[in-house]
Amino acid sequence: MTTKHRLITDSFKVVKKAKRGGRREKRPTSPPPQKEAETETVREEELQKLRQFDLDWRFGPCTGITRLQRWERAKLHGLNPPEEIRYLLLQTHTDPDYKLSLWSEYPL
Amino acid sequence: MFSDLSAQKEGSSLLCRPASDDQGPVFERMSLAYSPCSERYRIGDRSFSRQYAHIYAARLMQMRPLLSERAQQKWGSDVLIRKLCDLQTGEQCCIVGTLFKRMDLQPSILKEISEEHNLLPQPARAKYISETDELILEDELQRIKLEGKIDRDKCVTGSIVAIYGAERNDGKFTVEDFCTADLPLQTARPALSSDRFVLLASGLGLGSTHADSMLGLQLLVDMVTGQLGDQGEQSGAATISRVLLAGNLLSQSTQDKDASTKAKYLTKKTQAGSVEAIRLLDELLLQLVASVPVDVMPGQYDPTNYTLPQQPLHRCMFPLSSVYPTLQLASNPYQANFDGVRFLGTSGQNVSDIQKYSSMDSHLEILEETLRLRHLAPTAPDTLGCYPFYQKDPFIFEECPHVYFSGNAPTFESKLIKGADGQEVLLVTVPDFSSTQTACLVNLRTLEYTVAFAMGFPC
Repeated sequence: MTTKHRLITDSFKVVKKAKRGGRREKRPTSPPPQKEAETETVREEELQKLRQFDLDWRFGPCTGITRLQRWERAKLHGLNPPEEIRYLLLQTHTDPDYKLSLWSEYPL
Repeated sequence: MFSDLSAQKEGSSLLCRPASDDQGPVFERMSLAYSPCSERYRIGDRSFSRQYAHIYAARLMQMRPLLSERAQQKWGSDVLIRKLCDLQTGEQCCIVGTLFKRMDLQPSILKEISEEHNLLPQPARAKYISETDELILEDELQRIKLEGKIDRDKCVTGSIVAIYGAERNDGKFTVEDFCTADLPLQTARPALSSDRFVLLASGLGLGSTHADSMLGLQLLVDMVTGQLGDQGEQSGAATISRVLLAGNLLSQSTQDKDASTKAKYLTKKTQAGSVEAIRLLDELLLQLVASVPVDVMPGQYDPTNYTLPQQPLHRCMFPLSSVYPTLQLASNPYQANFDGVRFLGTSGQNVSDIQKYSSMDSHLEILEETLRLRHLAPTAPDTLGCYPFYQKDPFIFEECPHVYFSGNAPTFESKLIKGADGQEVLLVTVPDFSSTQTACLVNLRTLEYTVAFAMGFPC
């Protein structure tokens, strides 16, 4: 029982994630904030929709696969995922904030 | 094995004088239309970053509509099908979900590494079932314990079933009846004009420590290639249109892990046992492929990936035989059409895994059970290695095969089963050749089977 007082963080170092939110907050401050703020709210709304999609249990687990892959699986099995989500994902497929699910930053 | 056939033909016995001085007749080998349909068992890009939750989710998504339909057929179209979250206590209804059997004896890596508890290493067992096992049904959101009219020991984790009954006050579900997805639809088998055979063999066990097993194997090869027996026998051998080797071409003893446990300087000059065995296999295949098309499936001990679906053995391991177009290196579950007769089968890992985790012992019974469950390997990924699929579960039967086989069984068994919609399926457990010296022939015209004994004595 030598390992009694060791903590889990001794073996697995605490990894601080760069906060997504933090980066987004920074961006509007550097360019002129007026117009950016508007697109920022649109973006936030869109991401909110996608997060809602992630949390819809009917379409199965969302970790480890992209949102589009999850959407397509739901479509394949006739679960009628919202078309709007697919449209949104196809438009913005390069942006990892859109592409990957809510939990993508957590290690498996 | 074709002797009864040859006995009818007069004057073609080995006991009579040769008919003439010239070469004798040439028997043209029967050919058949072959189309492989194993694409679904090919893995394109390999990503292991996913969890196995996806495969269970996809399985349930695919099977739920099928089972709801079966439930309505069985318990009337007005049967109440509930999700577990909508369950009312005492209400008679039907629930659909994935079975999970909680087993105390199931080997667990967590138990093994918990050295603080001073546990003894878990002994290897033939069966992991016990009296304390519990059956649990899971759907997308929650789970419920099952009790009542369901055979706990026969069920295995991962099978999707529909259950009829009611929830009791203590939160357990009393089972009154249950149903499985049963056989899928089958395309009709075309009527063939003549007898054509497919030879199934498995467990060649090359590279094993007892070398005498090679004699039986060589006799089998000679029989297939028409170098044995009289003319009647040879004309019989010409009706074998295809040979299917269902896994474990190499023996288990080629897998010894000496190299990883012994000191480096002791094992420096030794060669892996599988190298010699593969060379032997290549020579054996060369004799076969020169005469007949051969499909080679990998098995548990063969040098390919361990997890199902096992990918075909690599061509570069067979420098001699791979130049022939008749050599087909196939995946492990295997699916193909021979003259419109659909073959589907595995090298037997799925069956022997279920044998360990359920009360069923007969490979044939398990084979039938997997067909009734409409799932090739329900215990994958729980106790059987499996690739983390996310979109579809490729082990679900989409179409009913005509011949459904599994390799490396202890004995040869076979049975023709009939489905409710007129399906006819021949179930075959292909025996381990190295221990039984038995291979089997399936007649594509009649779906009858013959056992081919290459040697009459045990070894």
